[in-house]
Amino acid sequence: MREKHGAWSALFAEKGAMLSKYFLRRVAHRWDAQDLVQEVYLRLLRIEPDDAANIRSPEAYLFTVAANLVKEHAVLRQQQPLGSDELEQVVEQLAAPANPEADMDSRLRQERLGALIDRLSPKCKAVLVMHYRDEMSYREIAERMSISTNMVKKYIVKGLAACRQRMADYE
Amino acid sequence: MSDSTQFDAARQARRITEQAVSWYIEQQEPLTERQRVAFLHWLRASPRHVAEYFAVAQMHGDLKAAASLQALTSDALVEQAARDNPVIMFPGMGGVMRKPDEPRTGRVRRVVMAMAGLAAAVIMAWLGVGYWRSTDGRVQQSYAGDASVRSVTLPDGTLVQLDRDSLIDVHFDGRLRRIEVVRGNALFDVGKDTKRPMLVSVGGHVLQDIGTVFDVRRESSGDTLTVISGRVRVLNVPDTSLKGVDVTSLGSDAVADLTAGQQISLGKAEIGAKRPAQIAQVTAWLPADIRFQHETIGNVARRFNAYTIKPLVIENEHIASERISGIFHANNPQAFAAYLATLPDVRVIEESDRVRIVASNQTETKASRL
Repeated sequence: MREKHGAWSALFAEKGAMLSKYFLRRVAHRWDAQDLVQEVYLRLLRIEPDDAANIRSPEAYLFTVAANLVKEHAVLRQQQPLGSDELEQVVEQLAAPANPEADMDSRLRQERLGALIDRLSPKCKAVLVMHYRDEMSYREIAERMSISTNMVKKYIVKGLAACRQRMADYE
Repeated sequence: MSDSTQFDAARQARRITEQAVSWYIEQQEPLTERQRVAFLHWLRASPRHVAEYFAVAQMHGDLKAAASLQALTSDALVEQAARDNPVIMFPGMGGVMRKPDEPRTGRVRRVVMAMAGLAAAVIMAWLGVGYWRSTDGRVQQSYAGDASVRSVTLPDGTLVQLDRDSLIDVHFDGRLRRIEVVRGNALFDVGKDTKRPMLVSVGGHVLQDIGTVFDVRRESSGDTLTVISGRVRVLNVPDTSLKGVDVTSLGSDAVADLTAGQQISLGKAEIGAKRPAQIAQVTAWLPADIRFQHETIGNVARRFNAYTIKPLVIENEHIASERISGIFHANNPQAFAAYLATLPDVRVIEESDRVRIVASNQTETKASRL
């Protein structure tokens, strides 16, 4: 278990966004996301204080717990288990998602999100688009817009929060 | 008051979202040990935190694709953003409605507002001035200054300082927040309401606030508007009762835009040129001392912000909600900031346009980022 944890953490560090997207998509279609959240939450609560101090990356831990739960659940339901424990296979699956329904959903989500970004204040919008579309760093954006990197980060947080709040309205 | 419970729930959801996003963004660099503990603690505080964190992670996965739908070039975006600052806030139609989508003052102000909202109920009962009607969500009330300068908190969290013999009429409905300065001198620290713009009418002019602190003085010789911090747009509106005003069309009638430290005379037929204001002189009518007993730091900071173009921004809600007592010279927010710096886990950061009050662990992140 401990070893696996290390491996998952490493995978997460590399493929974080993809991994989370992957299992969230799975969860959305094969398991009630509410159940997952509850179960993850309970496991978080069960962490002993001593162990808590030793968790090097709580985020990786969080996603590891969630990913393992998804996998356990898949095995229990005998529905398309996550494949073997081989991480490489998992990664391969990540690269080629094969659920057209989920793809439709994600396109719709992306369009909605794109429209929300468009409605942000000009500054938030500029910062978000330059960062996520043009892959500019905070520092590059800061120079371009003559603001501090700190402000860039603030606009990112502000913009993401505004988008997320509005996305929640769709749920 | 079921509206207010609903409002509270929405505000709480918003706060959780903001926290989840902040934590998510923090992970881009390795967390400090203190942050790791704080993050785990946050996750364990509520299943809603866990759920929201997942939701943010999921949304984040869509961001590149979503942002790539944007047709404008980065040059065009930067140019738009530059035009946004600071003068032209609402380029024509639609802007007025779109603006509230994007909170300008951040989380702290809202938390402060939450507390201000609680205070409002108390003050209403205690004032007993003017009249008080509440039908289908409308609020109407007059407030008059009495023997001394009075501080009034309106239901939306707006903080008004009223000079002696001053009178304002407040009219809130589902669409707009309208305040008329009937006479005297009033200073507004406008609460954030994402749905309803705030319009303050003064004689033949209407001031549209954009999250800000400003002073209105009505005299027989003419009216004066001074912006302490934030921005204000002055509009010409023939019917100052604003009864039939179409909110979406307001943007086109702008006659002036003021930013922090600027002042303007509002004549009957015309308005004067913008000029730099002597803030100390403008706020001379306010009490020289700020006295507070068991008051939240957030509220005390707002009171200081009436006197300075460099507002104190409490960025940490725990700090903002902490209660303190004391007396300070109102024209010396630095002393207050220095006092805050002596509190445990509080850091004060001076910036060119504001003084940020953050939690110590928060500063560590900022420092490690730069």
